[in-house]
Amino acid sequence: MADQTGVAMGAASVKVAEGDRGRGIVGSLSWFAARQPLGFVGAILVLALVVTAIFAPALAPYGPKDAAFAAYVPPGGEFPMGTDHLGRDMLSRIVWGARLSLYVGLTSVLFGVTVGALWGVVTAYFGGAADTVSQRIVDSLMALPPIILALALMAGLGQSVTNVIVALAVLLVPTAARTIRSVALSIKEMPYVEAARGAGATEWRIIFRHVLPNTMATYIVLVTVNIAYAIVVEAALSFLGLGAPPDEPSWGGMLTAGTQALETAPWMIFFPGLAISLTVFGLNLLGDAIRDLTDPQLRGGLG
Amino acid sequence: MSLTPAASKGDRCMRRLAFVIAILAVLAVAAPSAPDAQETPRPGGILNWYVYGDPGRLDIHLESPLSVQQALAGIYSGLLHRDPAAPDKLAPDLAERWTASPDGKVYTFHLRKGVKWHDGQPFTSADVKATLDRVLNPATKSPRCGSMLKPIVAGVEAVDSHTIQIALKFPAAPFLEYTASAWCRIAAKHVLDKYGDLSKPEAQIGTGAFKFKRYERGNVIEWEKNKDYFIPGLPYLDGVKQFVLVGFPTQLAAAKAGRIHLWDTWPPMKKTDADELKRARGDAVHVYQVAQNTIFLAYMHTQKPPFNNPDVRRAVHLALDRQELVAKALEGAGVPCAVFDPKLSGDFALPLEEVQKMPGCRQPKDADIAEAKKLVEKHYPNGVDVEAAVRSVGNYVDRAQLVLSQLRKIGIRGTIKTYESAAGFAVFGKGDFVFLPTQDRAMVTVDPGDLFSLIYTTDAGSNWGKWSDKKVDELTERGLKETNREKRKQIYWELQRYLLSGSPSAIPVAWVEGFHFVDKKLRGYKWAPTVYDNNTFMKVWLAP
Repeated sequence: MADQTGVAMGAASVKVAEGDRGRGIVGSLSWFAARQPLGFVGAILVLALVVTAIFAPALAPYGPKDAAFAAYVPPGGEFPMGTDHLGRDMLSRIVWGARLSLYVGLTSVLFGVTVGALWGVVTAYFGGAADTVSQRIVDSLMALPPIILALALMAGLGQSVTNVIVALAVLLVPTAARTIRSVALSIKEMPYVEAARGAGATEWRIIFRHVLPNTMATYIVLVTVNIAYAIVVEAALSFLGLGAPPDEPSWGGMLTAGTQALETAPWMIFFPGLAISLTVFGLNLLGDAIRDLTDPQLRGGLG
Repeated sequence: MSLTPAASKGDRCMRRLAFVIAILAVLAVAAPSAPDAQETPRPGGILNWYVYGDPGRLDIHLESPLSVQQALAGIYSGLLHRDPAAPDKLAPDLAERWTASPDGKVYTFHLRKGVKWHDGQPFTSADVKATLDRVLNPATKSPRCGSMLKPIVAGVEAVDSHTIQIALKFPAAPFLEYTASAWCRIAAKHVLDKYGDLSKPEAQIGTGAFKFKRYERGNVIEWEKNKDYFIPGLPYLDGVKQFVLVGFPTQLAAAKAGRIHLWDTWPPMKKTDADELKRARGDAVHVYQVAQNTIFLAYMHTQKPPFNNPDVRRAVHLALDRQELVAKALEGAGVPCAVFDPKLSGDFALPLEEVQKMPGCRQPKDADIAEAKKLVEKHYPNGVDVEAAVRSVGNYVDRAQLVLSQLRKIGIRGTIKTYESAAGFAVFGKGDFVFLPTQDRAMVTVDPGDLFSLIYTTDAGSNWGKWSDKKVDELTERGLKETNREKRKQIYWELQRYLLSGSPSAIPVAWVEGFHFVDKKLRGYKWAPTVYDNNTFMKVWLAP
């Protein structure tokens, strides 16, 4: 009974899914494109990123680390995006860079936001001294400028892709914890939670079966919006020489190399810059659209 | 004051040196010197210079990075030094003259009188003895001065307060060159007694033309004029500022913006950088190409897998495409595969025609790569992963990526770990690495023995890969002892062939060449054949 109530009072995203039922894929896409044209553009860009990342080995003409060609070959012919200062194919590096960016962005955000969400839900539900202390910890972490915190973490952890993910996740945990906590505070006062408690459900069952699932809409928005943020911070860390190891095809690292040849090989900075811009643009547009669709205050989005 | 050693053996030594000096003279013609003829030096002004990384510890006898030498170049004096007006020649510094015994085994140096340390204490022979005893002490790891002098010096004795005698184990051709090295500067006994070492800024008490004024880590090193310098009227400058500029784009940006007067240090500029600078500064700067007396090496630790296996080391030697590395990392300004650059070492360098035909050095690479792959597969059928340690200076990270790209073809897969400059040196010196895909080592002198004493002998100061090879030790010692020039040349040729056909821990990749510049306002500056020399700036001045 309690479970049915929880689902019935569930997230707007569920309603969206129900609203789409019967339209078919093409119909749903048309509906989405009509309602959220910018979001649709964002979705296309994100889809391109995902496809590029998944099929990187097939799409990239050469290995991203193969310095097998002449250096500074301008874009055109065999090398549509030219070669870099070490004679590596820029197109191959950009393609493989999509995989690295998406991998780092997605894993760090899933990890950081999930940990933050659990933290927020648990402390919100139990309240008391533990909640107060945990919120002061969140305050402390949020008081630090994100890029400085990330740089400090990377300086301490050392350069590796895994450590970049850890550092980014640490950045995301406090924001996610704070946001999800505020949602969970209102959910825990809902009648269905009272009902579950009255029916004898344990506190952990209530948290995991009733409170946590009802924060999913916020969780999804947090994930979507923060992937772009994580990709930008990863690029910034790599640009500053503290992100992915130098030979990894990171777009930020490519920008650094490009700064050394601004006059002789402007394409070295143009293409990674374009890739970062389009990715972040696409993710932000899509994130905004999802937020609008799932926000009960913006009913227009739901139709 | 006499500059001529009295004894015949000494004469022979000097004649041998003269040959090397003649080569340098040829280089010096091509190298720049600012238009200073007939001009009256103008006192005052601050010279702005740069250093590529933080020196960290400042002990000139115990450290080996160029950044340490740069930080202290104007602070100390040596017994001899390179003549600031003609750096291809040796000249007296704290020793106003010297003599050699007839058998060439004892040198007597007569010291200047009235010289004061920067703290006002008088300079005596006790300071020279304390310095030389320090670097010669078997317990002291002195990677530059100690590495050069230990194999040849038997003992040091203060004859009186201003006379010092150095006994050699055998008549050694490069002894005076080594003594004049910028790494063999004389430190004060009372400072060594007080501080124990010279690592800290407050211990930088010298007799040089400048006093050590300030060291702000990661930012700037400053010298100020020593008004009591023992040569009246010098220096002309009020001081020197060295900005710590880490990262090539920052260095080039500073040069283009006119923030530095001089780029005579490592890393040299590449051609595209030099062209960019010329476009930005036009006639305000003089840009010139140099052979920098620096060798680009790839180090492997011979006591750690996989490089404890000589086959794997040999495979790396065979697989590295030096021509590609020089073309891409140095934009062609370098001598691929050479153990010596003929421009600097003359006929002591194995003829390049022979070098370029040797396995590992020849083109095309197909046969050598196939052989290298077999050698790796023999011990590591699935290939092998290694950590490649790299200092984040110059274009080392780019070079490392190129090296690793080449080694992937033979199954050696590297991941890069970067270090700040001084931290890297500390780690490498302790042997805490497996593979250094790129590391330049600058020579202290142009004598061919220097390279082996510095890098390849068992006790060499930069034998970071802990390689020990009896033949190399024996030939190096023979090279130092040999007084017949032709026989000496044959010894060094044999050593070069042995290194290129074997599996040493430090693989010669190339000799580094490149571009420097000097601001035309800077007068009296003379290019020196090693990056360590003639950075005292005692005779340099700034035109309005």
